[in-house]
Amino acid sequence: MTALIEARGISKRFRQHKRFPGLLGAFKSLVTTEYTEVTAVSDISFDITAGEAVGYLGPNGAGKSTMIKMMTGILLPSAGTLSVLGRTPHAERMANARQIGVVFGQRSQLWWDLPLLDSFTLHQRIYEIPAARYQDNLKRFSALLDLTPFLDRAVRQLSLGQRMRAEIVMSLLHDPKILFLDEPTIGLDVVAKDAVRKFLAEINRERGVTIILTTHDLQDIETICPRLIMVDQARLIFDGELTRLRSALGSARRLTLEFASDPGPVPLSSATLTSDEGLRKHYLLERDDVSLVQVLGEVGSDRDLKDVALHEPDIEEVIRTFYQRRNAAAAAAQ
Amino acid sequence: MSAYAAFVRSGFLTSFAYRNDVWANIFGKLVQVFARVAIWLAVYAGATMVDGISIQDMITYALLGGVVMGATRYDRIVRHVGNALKTGDVAIWLLKPVHYPLYLLAIEAGASAYTFLLAVVPTIVIVALVYGMYPPTSLFHGVIFIAFCALSFLIHFLCAAIFGILAFWLMTVFSLEWLLQSLITLLSGMLIPFWFFPEPFGTIAAHQPLAWLVYYPSAVWLGRFDIPQTLFYFGLGLAWTVLLAFVLALLWRRAANRITVQGG
Repeated sequence: MTALIEARGISKRFRQHKRFPGLLGAFKSLVTTEYTEVTAVSDISFDITAGEAVGYLGPNGAGKSTMIKMMTGILLPSAGTLSVLGRTPHAERMANARQIGVVFGQRSQLWWDLPLLDSFTLHQRIYEIPAARYQDNLKRFSALLDLTPFLDRAVRQLSLGQRMRAEIVMSLLHDPKILFLDEPTIGLDVVAKDAVRKFLAEINRERGVTIILTTHDLQDIETICPRLIMVDQARLIFDGELTRLRSALGSARRLTLEFASDPGPVPLSSATLTSDEGLRKHYLLERDDVSLVQVLGEVGSDRDLKDVALHEPDIEEVIRTFYQRRNAAAAAAQ
Repeated sequence: MSAYAAFVRSGFLTSFAYRNDVWANIFGKLVQVFARVAIWLAVYAGATMVDGISIQDMITYALLGGVVMGATRYDRIVRHVGNALKTGDVAIWLLKPVHYPLYLLAIEAGASAYTFLLAVVPTIVIVALVYGMYPPTSLFHGVIFIAFCALSFLIHFLCAAIFGILAFWLMTVFSLEWLLQSLITLLSGMLIPFWFFPEPFGTIAAHQPLAWLVYYPSAVWLGRFDIPQTLFYFGLGLAWTVLLAFVLALLWRRAANRITVQGG
């Protein structure tokens, strides 16, 4: 399988007029020809194959949106080669546009004053979607995302969650091969987020639409994207399966034992005690091969054990560990 | 139906979203046209002819200015383009298989058609009933007047869109809007027809593109030019249209380039 998207050594630098502080500085800024260069994306390479769902994750200002804009053709990379569906996106923007769908969480593509359905029909005209296919897609997606009751309502009267669902439906009407989403869940409440995530996961699984989404909400990635690309300060710092990140970091599972009466200290060879509240004791299971049964065997049946809880490390924790280790390594290197 | 025809339709329908605007619009236009007529009545001060132009000519001229200039709104275009570029919303249009300037033209055609039908026509009918108005000088002048109106719309749109795009490099959208407003008031002939300008300013004013906004359509209706002259000025207006379209296309390409290279 050849790659749908190939990025080789992509960099993006922006030039900004230099600004000077203070009153005199303000006048100086008016006439200066000095520039400061800001690197938004630095030497990033990856391949994405058809049918993948990739989460592009990083803190604010890490260059996520810039990368999406380059892949969709509205920004020209400063260095490196980029190929999307076999084309250079910037050079063949129009041809590229017909085969991709794009959703910006912060920028609406709907017609504010018109009923929602009018935005969709305009989309049909712009992309020249055959009527039968358009009707079919519209019916299916609207039903899946529960939009049918709002189709007659003006966009400005919709809630943020309804609008975001509408944006996603619209971006899929022309059967794009790739769907780019820039922060699709930003500002949504838990229920709306959940609806969007489930829908995207389903579209990816059942229609084989390749999905690339940027986010700083880790839950998005957990639900939708098996593969994770992590960036920080313009650089790529991790690319691979989420599960691989987890096992590579070996983030420990947390175990909580609750007793009916205080058993005193309960030392375990398979787990490390982290805190002891008497009735409730917290442990870390650092090794992956230790099973819960083993641990419970060690606790024994003579102690008055009431409840057991085992927490898999969540993605936030995995990534926090990742950053901590990296920073520690950087500090050690200096 | 093509995408652009659909844009015309949504430009028209979008205007319907705010129903009270229709009434505010009619009222505003009525005040404007009455004011212009009142100014000419005061200037003529009971005289029937000034420099060979009758007061009835001037009332007709004031009304026609309302017809050709009433529907298209340069301020709306300048603001629309300027803000889309400054906020970066224009990026969305780079993502669609659509030419942005043509999209703008289509939207504006729809919105203008709406204002024309729901505000301009009622206003003109009311004022014409009050003060009276000359019909076109001949059938030829009446027909070519419609062609001049189309030219007026195109040049109006092109100038406003060019000013909107300039906001990307030059200054705030607001100040460009004001600049264009003063230029149009003086140089379109809306306030004072060029035949009252002292020479050589009259000749100069009659050859710059804004003259086609109000002066030529109205002068043609009033029969100020014979047939060959009318056709000549129509051709000259067309030439200006082509030139301005070229400038707009060039500026848009530069702006689009800068967005994709500089990120806006």
